[in-house]
Formats: sequence, C-alpha cells, structure tokens
Amino acid sequence: MELTLLWAALTAFVAAYLTLRLRPPDVPNRPLDRLIGAAVVGMFTGRLAAVLAAGINPITNPGQLLLIRGGVDTTWASMAGFATLAWPLRRNPRAVDNLAPAALAALGGWHTGCVWRSTCLGTAADLPWAWALPGSDVTRHPVELYAAIGFVAGAFFLARLSLPKGALTGLAITWAALTRLLTEPMRPSIGGGPIAFYITATVVGVVVAAWSRNLPSWIKPSNSR
Amino acid sequence: MRRMAVVVSLLAVVAACSSSNAEPQTPPLPEIDLASFQQLLGDLDRPAVVNVWASWCLPCRAEAPLLQAAHAEYGDRIEFIGLDYNDSQRGARLFLDEFDLPFTHYFDQPGEVIADLGGFGVPRTYFFAADGELIKTHNGVIDEQTLALQIDELLNR
Repeated sequence: MELTLLWAALTAFVAAYLTLRLRPPDVPNRPLDRLIGAAVVGMFTGRLAAVLAAGINPITNPGQLLLIRGGVDTTWASMAGFATLAWPLRRNPRAVDNLAPAALAALGGWHTGCVWRSTCLGTAADLPWAWALPGSDVTRHPVELYAAIGFVAGAFFLARLSLPKGALTGLAITWAALTRLLTEPMRPSIGGGPIAFYITATVVGVVVAAWSRNLPSWIKPSNSR
Repeated sequence: MRRMAVVVSLLAVVAACSSSNAEPQTPPLPEIDLASFQQLLGDLDRPAVVNVWASWCLPCRAEAPLLQAAHAEYGDRIEFIGLDYNDSQRGARLFLDEFDLPFTHYFDQPGEVIADLGGFGVPRTYFFAADGELIKTHNGVIDEQTLALQIDELLNR
C-alpha cells in the first residue's frame, strides 16, 4: 500500500503542532482539530472539484472522491480550507490570526513531505544543491523544498508579529500565495499551473491585511483585545 | 431514517439514469503481443509514455483527464500509447467514448506486454526514452506533478 501521502500529512501535522506549541494560539476548542478539519474539508472539496472538472459524475463514481492522488483542485481546496477555518471564528478575527502561522507551518510540513514521496524535484538546473532523479544525469531544482522553506520562514516571521485584528491572516494568505507563485516557474506542470489563482490570492491577502482596521459589520469582534 | 431512505433512493435513480446501453462509437482496439510492441517502440524516433488501463479500473478514470491534457500539450514531442489490459473490447470502447484519449490504444487482454515490462497493478505508466530504453515505471494512479516531471526528464535526455 502506498503510504507516502500519509507521511506527508503526518509531517504537516507535526509542523502545525510544533508551531502551536511555540506560540499558544489562545483559541478555544482544540485549535489543532480546527486546522486538521480545515485541511480535510479542503482536500475533499478540491478532489470533488477535480472530479467534476474531469466530467466524472461523483454520484455514480463515489470512489473517485477518495482517490486524492488522482488530483486535487488547488483553488477550491484552498478556498474551502480557509472558509472552514475562518467561518466559525468570524466573530473572533484574532483567533484566526493566531492560527495563521500554524497553517503556514502545516503547508511547509506538507511540502517537506515530498522527501517521503520522492517528488521534490522541479525543472532542470545547474546549481550546486540541485540533484537528479535516480539513474539520470539531469540535475533539478528541489522546488518543493524551496516552497517548504518559504512557508516555514513565513510561519516563524508572522508568529512574532503583533498587528491589528485580521492583518496577520491577510499577510499569511499573501505569504502562502507568493511562495507558491514564486516557485511555480520551477515546477513542471501540465497546462501551466494555477498562476492566476496565486496572483488573485496574493492580492486578496493584501486587501484583507489593509482592510483589517475597518472590519465589516458581520465580523464584529466578540471581545476586543 | 426515512429521510435517509429518500436520499438513497434518489441516488439510485440518478445512478440508473446515467448508465448507458448505447453501442460504442470507438472502433475495436487492435490486439498487440510482445514482439509487435517491441517493434512499435523500435520504430519510434521520439520518447514514449505508455499507459496501462482498463475500463473496470476506477483510478484509471481519475487519471484519464490528466493524460488527455498531457497529450494535448506534449503530443507533438512525445508518443502516447495506451495498453488496455484484462478487459473486454466493449468495455474498452465505452471507456474511450467517455474519455476521448486521442492516441493509439492496443488491446493486451492477457497482459503479455505488461508482464514483460514489469511493475504491478492498474493503472501503470511506463516512460521510454527515444532509443527505447525503459526509464521509469510508475505503479498506480499518476499525479500531475509526477507525470510532468517524468515527461520533462524524457525531453531533457
């Protein structure tokens, strides 16, 4: 049985757990459970979107939804994961802020999982730290490790910031999207990858961060801190 | 409980409506044996991606759209070949009607070719260099990143 995805998920879990231990998030009701729940909902939604996009009927082929390795739509997965995390905490933006660094660390852990999956390599490169696939002479960027470093650096940087409510969440979205956007050219893909989504997410994150001083009325903080 | 029964009944109706008794449009797949396959590879002057599939294989349905996209992008530089294994002609033709994989597919019902090439399970994907050397065998459903990386490897050799 192929367990490499499970190892990658475990690495993401450990990264989130350690970050939450470094900076207690002060979020009621099991913050780690919230992150895991958001990841599961995101993955399921992303798989459902990929199945529908492929023209497969998920009602007649329900087993398709479990084939995560068959492809997950990044756009829908990210949006559903974020919505699952943010919606129950919408009246407490500080709680989402406190979870944001751990979410970035989890992404870093997931990307580090490429080591277990042997999927770290990207486009060809002639750099001292580039390495080749087994039996090949073509050395390549370890692009997933670049992304992992970006996510983990973001987690540690943001965990030390103190900003108005919502700003940290906005910055975390921007950081995550920029990390993927900057590494995307080094990632072989079919169809060019979701560049437009990462650009949009970068802009949305900046807008959320800039808007955080004037949160809309439906996000009324239940307690001001 | 009653609500659950209604939902299950509706799902069954939807599933029944989507099944098809239509005659397949795709012509029958040509049969292939090991010698013909080796000659086919030898005649190629470019790398090849050989995908083993079957109409009964659930993961094959998951990766079919990816292969379709890969063929659209790299079909001018890479030869894509399908090997239908342990299947019926009718099932295979209905599968191709559904997924429209626009490259040549061969019928390897007894699995003679894939037994020689090695690996396990269906789907399975083989990557061959232009000189016919087998570079990589991927067992199981292939994801976009792995497929793109291996294609890039074939093109950079």
